[in-house]
This record gives sequence, C-alpha cells and structure tokens, in this order.
Amino acid sequence: MISVRNVYKNFGELKVLKGVSSEIQKGEKVAIIGPSGSGKSTLLRCMNLLEEPTYGEIWLDDKLLTPADPYLHPEVIAASKTYQSMYQKKGNSNTTELDEEIIREIKEKDLLQKHEGKEYKERLKQIEKDCRVDVNLARQRVGMVFQHFNLFNNLTVMENLTIAPVTLKLQSVEEATEKAGELLKRIGLYEKKDEYPSKLSGGQKQRIAIVRSLVMNPEAILFDEPTSALDPEMVGEVLELIRELAEEGMTMVIVTHEMGFAREVATRVLFMDGGEIKEENTPEEFFGNPQHPRLKEFLSKVL
Amino acid sequence: MTIQSLMNKWNLFIDTFLNKGGYKEVVTGLINTLIIALVALVIGIIIGTIIAAIEVQPKKGKIMMVLNKICTVYVAFFRGTPIVVQLLLGYFVILPLLGWNFSSVVVAIMIMGLNSGAYVSEIMRSGILSVDIGQMEAGRAMGLNYGTTMRKIIIPQAVKNILPTLGNELISLVKETSVVSFIGVVDLYKAFRTIGSGNYEYMMPFLVMAVIYIVIILLITFGLRMMERGLRASDKR
Repeated sequence: MISVRNVYKNFGELKVLKGVSSEIQKGEKVAIIGPSGSGKSTLLRCMNLLEEPTYGEIWLDDKLLTPADPYLHPEVIAASKTYQSMYQKKGNSNTTELDEEIIREIKEKDLLQKHEGKEYKERLKQIEKDCRVDVNLARQRVGMVFQHFNLFNNLTVMENLTIAPVTLKLQSVEEATEKAGELLKRIGLYEKKDEYPSKLSGGQKQRIAIVRSLVMNPEAILFDEPTSALDPEMVGEVLELIRELAEEGMTMVIVTHEMGFAREVATRVLFMDGGEIKEENTPEEFFGNPQHPRLKEFLSKVL
Repeated sequence: MTIQSLMNKWNLFIDTFLNKGGYKEVVTGLINTLIIALVALVIGIIIGTIIAAIEVQPKKGKIMMVLNKICTVYVAFFRGTPIVVQLLLGYFVILPLLGWNFSSVVVAIMIMGLNSGAYVSEIMRSGILSVDIGQMEAGRAMGLNYGTTMRKIIIPQAVKNILPTLGNELISLVKETSVVSFIGVVDLYKAFRTIGSGNYEYMMPFLVMAVIYIVIILLITFGLRMMERGLRASDKR
C-alpha cells in the first residue's frame, strides 16, 4: 500500500536516510525501532511527505507522491545521453534490449547529469503525468499521529476533529460532527468536546489526536513515537487504543520505543541504524533470534 | 506668567472653541484621525499578513521567489522613507501620474495603510514563527494545504501572540496621523492649529490637543486589554 523506494534524505551535509526501501502491505502493522538519530522518524515522515526525500520515490498504491527518480526507471536511464554514449563505446550490436550492465554502472556511480536530452526528460515527465498525485489528496488517505499530539490549540476538541473533513468538503458539518461524536464517545471523552486542548491531560490529547486522524477514514495511520511524550501512567490508555485499531485491521506504521508493544501488536518489525534498515522480520524472529550485531547490541540494552 | 493671564488664555480658547465654531473643526479632526488610523491598521494587517505568509513559506517555487522579492522591496521602501515623504509622493506624484482624483483623506488612509503593512509584516512574521511547527505539520498531514492551514490554524494563534504588539502599532498609527496635514487633511492637530491661528494663541489649544491624544490612547489600551482577555479563552493563562 505504501511503497518506499530507495529513499535518501539529506539535511544539508547530514545524511539521515541512505537508501531505504520498504513495502507496507494493506493490513500490516509495521513497527520501526532503533536508536535515536537512526532516521526512523524521518522515514515515517517521508511516507506522507512531511519530509521530502532528497532521492527516491514514495508510492501510495499506484500513485507517486514524489518527483520521479530516474535511477528507479531503467527505461528512463536508457534514454539518457550518458547511457547512449556508453552503449556506443561498448560497440553493442543489439539495439532493442537494455544493457543491464550499463544501467547498473550508471546507478552505482551516479552518472546521470542534469541535462540528459529531450527523450530522457520526456520519459521522466510521462511517469509523473501518469502517476503523480497531489500530495494533499494522498495525505487525506493516510493519517498521522505525532509525538507531541499537535492538537490545534485555537480550536475546541470537536473543531479539531471536524476541521479537516469539513474544510476539504469530504463530509458535511452534520456528518463530521456525528462521526466525531461517536469517536469521542468510544474513547470516553465526549464530555470534553467543547474544551480547548490546553485543558486536557497528555493521554487525553493523544487519544483525541488518534481519533482526529480516524475522522478522515484513513486507509493507514502513521504513528511517530505516540507515547514518548506521555507520563508513564498515561502510556497504557494510548497503547490500548492503538491496539484496538490494530485488531480492527487498520494498516499502521509505528515508530516506537515500546518494545513489548511492538512485539505484541506488530506483524513486522524494522530495525534502523545509521539511516538504513539493518534488519526486518516477524516480531518472534526479530526479538527471539536477532541476526545483525547492531540489533543484538541494541536489544541487549533496551530489553 | 500670572494665573490671570492663563485664565484669559483659557477663556479665549473656550470662546473660539464653543462660540466661533472651533468644536466643529475638532470633531472633524477627531473623526479623520480615528478613521485614518483604524482603516490604515486594517489595511496594514491584511497586507502584513499576506507578506508574512509569503516570507515564512519554507519551500520556494519560482512564483514564490518573485513574490518574495516584491515583498522585500516593498518593506524596504516603506520602512526606509519617512512617512511624510510617502504622503507627499502619494498625493503630489503618484496621484497626478495615474490621473486619479481621490480626496486627501483617502490618500492618507492608503499611504498610512501601506506603511503600516510593512511594519505589521514583521510583527506578523514573528507571530507566525512563534507558533509551534507541529501545528502546521498536523494541518498538512491531514491534507489541508499550506494556505488553509495558515488561515485557520496558524494565523489565529499568531495574532493572539502578537496582539499587544499590534496594539502598539494602532497606537503609533493614531499618533503618526498628526502628519497628514502635510497633504491638507484636517486631523486633530490641524483642527487645534486652526483654532489657535485665529488669534495667535496656541498654548491652550495644543494643551487640550495633547490631553485628547492621551485619552484616545488610554481608551484604545483598555479596549485591547478586554479583547486580549476574550481571546485567551483557549489558554491556561
């Protein structure tokens, strides 16, 4: 459903992601763990383009969210001047088939230039024309829950829930209010609907932030360390809500430090370190039989 | 100066003010001063908000770059020249060149508004930057675009943060209107000057003028306090 393809992210000189690829299938619950600074939050934020990848592509089903990356499309590379001159130099007689070797070499040595001819440019544009979608439309399909809740401080709880669907004309005010009311009742905070966020506890805020994303009927939800900013006694109520959503089949990606929770709820666990996915596996294998030395070290410290 | 001569001056002023139609002049001047300041502030807030929203946008495309340059020039001009110069340019240069025929009050409102916009843009920019970045991210993550998130989430919070500073802007606008007589607008200053010029007796008119300015400013300050209290409903403070 969400496809991350060879994503690099640089903040100036700092390389935070160094070629990350991952497929999130519908219904999967993927936990991302790793030491701080490993790029796990950045990866999550790339999935809905809160961070724009420096290279690489993000796909939501068959919709491309980022600009097309020529290195991911052999037919685009083949149209480049660089490829053609290498092709001729090699004295290749077969003109119809792609020369895999040259393509691999171009990819590995990062040989594509800014200007690679008209055909190259057109093929790249064609991909974007066929697949690229407005990022705002894509974001409506993928909810996000933040470490610091980020409820809108100038709006009441009810307005927080209804502003997006109503402003985007996805639901009428009545529909959105009714749905928001149901969701608030579900988490037992209906009586808080006219309060401002500053009057709520951290746990309440985070649970409201979660149902705020649910009002949009998302196909997936991204959780960015949803319990890291909470008092210990409030962690439970938030995890309980996330667990319920998981049981209902929601597709989710969770960056977390709650190892127990990851083990119990996730269907797949990713370990990130130094901007790369170092290991990924089912939770049983991941925690029971870690392979990568860095993961072993990490687990020995946190478990 | 004896008490007696002061009393005489006062009586002379009261006479001109009440019996020779001086109060009409003052009422006109007061209304002009307030209208110019208030409308100019509204124009200033609108322009300033637009400039600030353009300037704080992190990702800049070609159009944004051009708009950003325009904003920079605009702010540089209006902050870099005295307001009197702007009024004179507006009334005696721009207006004839364009062949427009606005009254001097309208020109005063427009120039003061444009001038205020340059200052408000900086105030608004700091207000926008004072709102947690997470608010924008949360709005964008739900599919709202930059402009909508700005308008519905960020700017309301920014305005609340900068309300005391905006109040300052209104206060200085009220005071700065005292230069609009340069292009022939009857404001509070001009009205009292006219009263005094009748008999070359300026002491009392200007004293009363000062008191009126102070009273206006105190009323504005009080009004802003009340407004701020209302807007703080969503705060813990």
